[in-house]
Amino acid sequence: MQDFLELAVGAAASGCIYGLLALSYLVMIRPTGVINFAVGEWAMIAAFAGFLLLTGAHWSYPLGMAAIVAFMLVLGWATERIAVRPLLDAGAPVLAPILALLGMLVVFRESISLAFGPDPRQVPYPFGFGRLELGPLAGSYQSFFMIGVSALVFGAAWYFFERTVWGKCFEAVALNRRAAALMGINLSRVTALSFAAGSGIAGVAGILIAPNISAHYLMGVPLAIQGFTALVIGGVGRVEGALLGGLLLAFAEQLTVRYAPVPAGYAQGVPLVLLMIFLIVRPTGLLRARA
Amino acid sequence: MKSIALGLGAAIALSALAFLLGDYHNDVYRKLLLWIALALSYNFVFGICGQVTFSHFAFYGIGAYAIVILLFTAAFPLPLAIVCGVALCVALALAVAIPATRLEGFYLALATMAFAQLFIVVLNEGGAITGGTGGLASYRLPPVLGLDLSGRAYTVVIVLVLIGTAAVLRRVDHSWFGRACRAVRDNPEAAAAMGVDVARTKVIAFTLSSVLAGIAGMAYAFVDNTVNPPIFGLENAFLVLFMVIVGGSGRHAGAVVGTVLLYLLPFILSPLIGQHHALVFGVLMVTAILLQPRGLIGLYDRLARR
Amino acid sequence: MGGQLKHIVCAALAALLVPCAQAQDTIKIGVITDRVGPAKPYAEPITEGVVFGANEINAKGGVLGKKLELQIEDDQGKPDVSATMARKLVEDGAVFIMSLSLTPATQQAQTVTLETKTPQLTPSNSGDTLTTQINNPYFWQTGPLGSTQIATLLSYAKARNYKQVALVADNSDLGQLLAKFFRMGLEKQGIQIVSEELISRGATSAEPQMQKVRAARPQALVSAGVLTAENVLMLKAYRQMGLKMPILASYNFSVPVYMSVAQGLLDGVTFVDAYDPDKPAVKQFVAAFKKATGKEPWNLTGYGYDGIHLVADAIRRAGSTDKEKIRAAMQATKGLHGVMGSKDAAYGFAEGKRTGFDPNGMVVRVYEGDRQGRVLHVGLK
Repeated sequence: MQDFLELAVGAAASGCIYGLLALSYLVMIRPTGVINFAVGEWAMIAAFAGFLLLTGAHWSYPLGMAAIVAFMLVLGWATERIAVRPLLDAGAPVLAPILALLGMLVVFRESISLAFGPDPRQVPYPFGFGRLELGPLAGSYQSFFMIGVSALVFGAAWYFFERTVWGKCFEAVALNRRAAALMGINLSRVTALSFAAGSGIAGVAGILIAPNISAHYLMGVPLAIQGFTALVIGGVGRVEGALLGGLLLAFAEQLTVRYAPVPAGYAQGVPLVLLMIFLIVRPTGLLRARA
Repeated sequence: MKSIALGLGAAIALSALAFLLGDYHNDVYRKLLLWIALALSYNFVFGICGQVTFSHFAFYGIGAYAIVILLFTAAFPLPLAIVCGVALCVALALAVAIPATRLEGFYLALATMAFAQLFIVVLNEGGAITGGTGGLASYRLPPVLGLDLSGRAYTVVIVLVLIGTAAVLRRVDHSWFGRACRAVRDNPEAAAAMGVDVARTKVIAFTLSSVLAGIAGMAYAFVDNTVNPPIFGLENAFLVLFMVIVGGSGRHAGAVVGTVLLYLLPFILSPLIGQHHALVFGVLMVTAILLQPRGLIGLYDRLARR
Repeated sequence: MGGQLKHIVCAALAALLVPCAQAQDTIKIGVITDRVGPAKPYAEPITEGVVFGANEINAKGGVLGKKLELQIEDDQGKPDVSATMARKLVEDGAVFIMSLSLTPATQQAQTVTLETKTPQLTPSNSGDTLTTQINNPYFWQTGPLGSTQIATLLSYAKARNYKQVALVADNSDLGQLLAKFFRMGLEKQGIQIVSEELISRGATSAEPQMQKVRAARPQALVSAGVLTAENVLMLKAYRQMGLKMPILASYNFSVPVYMSVAQGLLDGVTFVDAYDPDKPAVKQFVAAFKKATGKEPWNLTGYGYDGIHLVADAIRRAGSTDKEKIRAAMQATKGLHGVMGSKDAAYGFAEGKRTGFDPNGMVVRVYEGDRQGRVLHVGLK
């Protein structure tokens, strides 16, 4: 039991990262239907930006983080402008921007690999490497930081979608693009905003996880796959679903490794089998979109 | 009659080309032909039937490993090994397809992605049967009908596999089943209303394309006389998706164009720009999609119309 | 004065008499490396070592009077492309192929070198099965074998008499291969593996694995993983879970990048290495490399450097560029001292074997603070 509680904090932290990536997918999928697999590479770019500013130039953490998020918002907007807007405007099938974004994935990854080399780089911990005990729970400072920041981001996202006018616009576009346009909602602005936001969220995930996994050019694809899995488990409709999916995935992964009586090699396969069973039993995800 | 002549002519032309090429170019050529076969079968399930799957390379691998294991570990005679290999692909494809028919869009993509990853885990943990992470090597194709099929002669075998795959797909595409697949892709509800059994169509399309991938895999096993897990990884599944879309999904010619371009591009770029070739590859991908969202085959159409 | 004139006359005569056939003027050595795939972090410095070594050899007059010409191909870390590149190199006239990419890529290229009877060397791959899975008399391996690594580690640990250890690896193909041979080495010494864990590529945490290790209470932790980021995750979780047992690590921990990316986590970690910085040959190599390129070489660079020297030495002893003669000469290599290995280590291929790294040639070093510290133990005493 002691072990479980100790693991719970770490698993929750990993789950928050998966959840943030799932949220990133979600804010882009809902208004446009475009699946952007490059979210992992966005996280990677933020991690390297962290390496440059925080490790290299020794900026203070809050300033560095703010600068990185601002940069990621611009990057997201730019990505949309280059790879998505021209295709949506030309009425291309929805697969076209998905593929263009996969192309951008390669461009991002190779640019970073050429610029920084293939070795992993260190990104500093804002609160150091220590351990914190809160009652029966225990975890690293970074784990608690990840959970805290993710809670803020999810809170903000929930508030945005549920309570603000812009959030309603997003929902309207998600439900019916044409009707939303007819009602005077500026589609291209919503699309641009959604990509900027998606990039910002992915960037936050990148900065949070980078001190643990080190910034390296191959870190993007596994994160993108985990985020996508979390998204599907949670159901694409709601912000809470992204977080729930992420937490479930992380707990399933880590509890399987810790407790499943199978040899280590097979334990890798268990989350995959669980996922396949889950998809067969409940293909629309756990939480349904609000009608 | 005309299509048989066409097929025969293509087979002869493609085989002849193999004999004109040097050793290195012949190797690139025969691997390219296998990728074209894979792209054609993938195009059928993805472009024509509208199902997004990532398990194509897993079936390529299942075919390759199956023929090697059945032929050498289980000591089956070659014809029996081929038949059993195909049967195995059919069985696994059905096992994946039947539950998966309930899934749409990215849920199906995710399920097939998980299946592909699971396949690699099984290969890695397979101990002596699959050779683990090192794979299986050190075997040779036994003489078929007294002929030793290696080198250029084996390229002819691959040409026949490709022509056969293309012929089957073309035939199916032009039949009512092909139309049913397109109906399911464009509007499943309308298709159901018109009497098409949507679930059965999807299952058959998936099984057919997976079996064709498996047969290509059997041919692959004897190209380098080695099978190992990295060859059948998920990155290749994404690559074949790229090839089909860049070429023009839904069109056989599109799949061919996309494959030839994307397979040969790294070989051409690498000597020119060294380690930057992957970056240039990515940039070209994005540019190709931006200029021709419906696939590069659209360029050909435009030129042909003039 | 007279000596100089004699030199000039000889050179002039040689220039007149030697035919102008450019194609025969060089000895072509093929190099298959990974420029864009997962082997890039390792293949890059090894390739630099090969290039530097070839330049050095050429500056001293080349081999058999001809210069070495390197043709470097990129296999993108893909095994079937590696085989294709091997064919290209053979077609372009390479008399020897060096494989610097992943283990499965080197293996797939072997089918080509066997078929075309072309000598092939991997100076860096450490997978034990490369010389056993395919019976290819044209293939040699001078990288530090996994079996040598674990034997050296255990020889160092003999005094501590470990009976129960944990084995941690990752799911890369080399990691799995090393784990297999580490397991065999441990079992041979009668040591029980009470916990065997695996960290997946792309994992965000190694805490569940380290918790399992903690619960099994081993006396030491043996690390067979080769993925840097995942090994760092292991070190982090090790500290977070409060583990204290000694860590015995594979040669992967000898790669210098750990010093910058695992700061504060390395003190006390022991690892096998094939690089003794106090060896005179190493000091010479480091100085020469720095002078030529302005950079400090890694230990990996030394593998490439030694590799090209082994190839050049074999061709020299063969006396010709005939592949069969080179094969015989390579197999007869004995007692060659290089940069890698402990002070007395020498490369050589024992009767019938094609693995050339001296089984006694590895050292065990320890991290002192964040720096790679002193040599604690040499070879298999």
